[in-house]
Amino acid sequence: MITTSRIVFRPVVPTDYPRLYEIESDPTTAMTWRYHGNLPAFEQYEPALWKQTQQIMVVEGRTSGQVVGYLQLHDVDARAGNAWFSLYSGPEHRGSGLVMEGLMAYCEWAFGNWPIRWLYAHSFAQNVTEFEHGMRRGEAVRLGVLRERVIVDGEPTDVHVIGISRENWMASPLRRRFNLLRARLS
Amino acid sequence: MIEGSWRLAEASDVPFVYELVTQVDPRWWRFSRGGLEPSLLIATAQGVSAGVVVLDEFSQPVACAVLAEAGTMGTGMFEYFALPTAHAEALARQFAPDLLAAAFTGADIQRLYYERFENDADVFGDMSALFEVEVTYPEFAMIGGRYENRTTSVLTRERFAAAHPGSMQ
Repeated sequence: MITTSRIVFRPVVPTDYPRLYEIESDPTTAMTWRYHGNLPAFEQYEPALWKQTQQIMVVEGRTSGQVVGYLQLHDVDARAGNAWFSLYSGPEHRGSGLVMEGLMAYCEWAFGNWPIRWLYAHSFAQNVTEFEHGMRRGEAVRLGVLRERVIVDGEPTDVHVIGISRENWMASPLRRRFNLLRARLS
Repeated sequence: MIEGSWRLAEASDVPFVYELVTQVDPRWWRFSRGGLEPSLLIATAQGVSAGVVVLDEFSQPVACAVLAEAGTMGTGMFEYFALPTAHAEALARQFAPDLLAAAFTGADIQRLYYERFENDADVFGDMSALFEVEVTYPEFAMIGGRYENRTTSVLTRERFAAAHPGSMQ
């Protein structure tokens, strides 16, 4: 568990599933890699949620106690030393920065607890702005763009491949600042 | 022109595929990433959409290609490896256009993806120039004591058809 002044970052528990399901039911996130718009009924949600997934961490607003989003660690490739992550934000919390703060906690947690050198994520073109700050600062890099990789709302859509390396994260000023603020809090 | 042929893969080709994977290990990442436990390889092989084997002049298999992850998006993943001999790799290059044409015509594929490590053997020959690199994963995995980059390239149906008119009829 990682706590900051605004969020609590912790492993998911089954009582979180209804909220996660609610987040994933939002039309703007329904076209994800896992479901392609065919979100299963809630009764079948748990195995679908955990498919190819090693761990799920939720981001909870510290004052509200509400789950504002969650991050998944999936498709860990132990031989290569890399893994993929997916990030979901409740529609009402997009732009608040809470889930992106959760991403900082996630990097700290993932690189601190898993033998991973690289974390990768797919981002649809319409969501990639969430990563632009990190790419400008250098914690994240755009590894490439899969042109017209998926169909979203009937339109071919580009998928950006984002990478965060352990080396970059460990050396980043953002990480130092993040941990400094955490230390002050404790 | 080297004497040889190709045909659709059969269940009886699994021992050859296993041998091929071990000889290029760990370059055929789909199979090698989890180690070479045979039942794991068989389970992985069952997940591919289609496969072909390239045969030498004695009708012995020397290379194998699979089409995986072919779905409703009009995309597929093409994977192609040859035994690590000059003869096998030359045969693989010779039949590469035929196999690509088969992939495009056998399934409704618009965009064919190909992933490779930087030091993988060239099995596409002239076809390599038709693939466009879209993603590079730096230092993806360790092979022989050093990290190698891995790339994802794409070959579109239009690009292939323009370069090989008549091959997809």
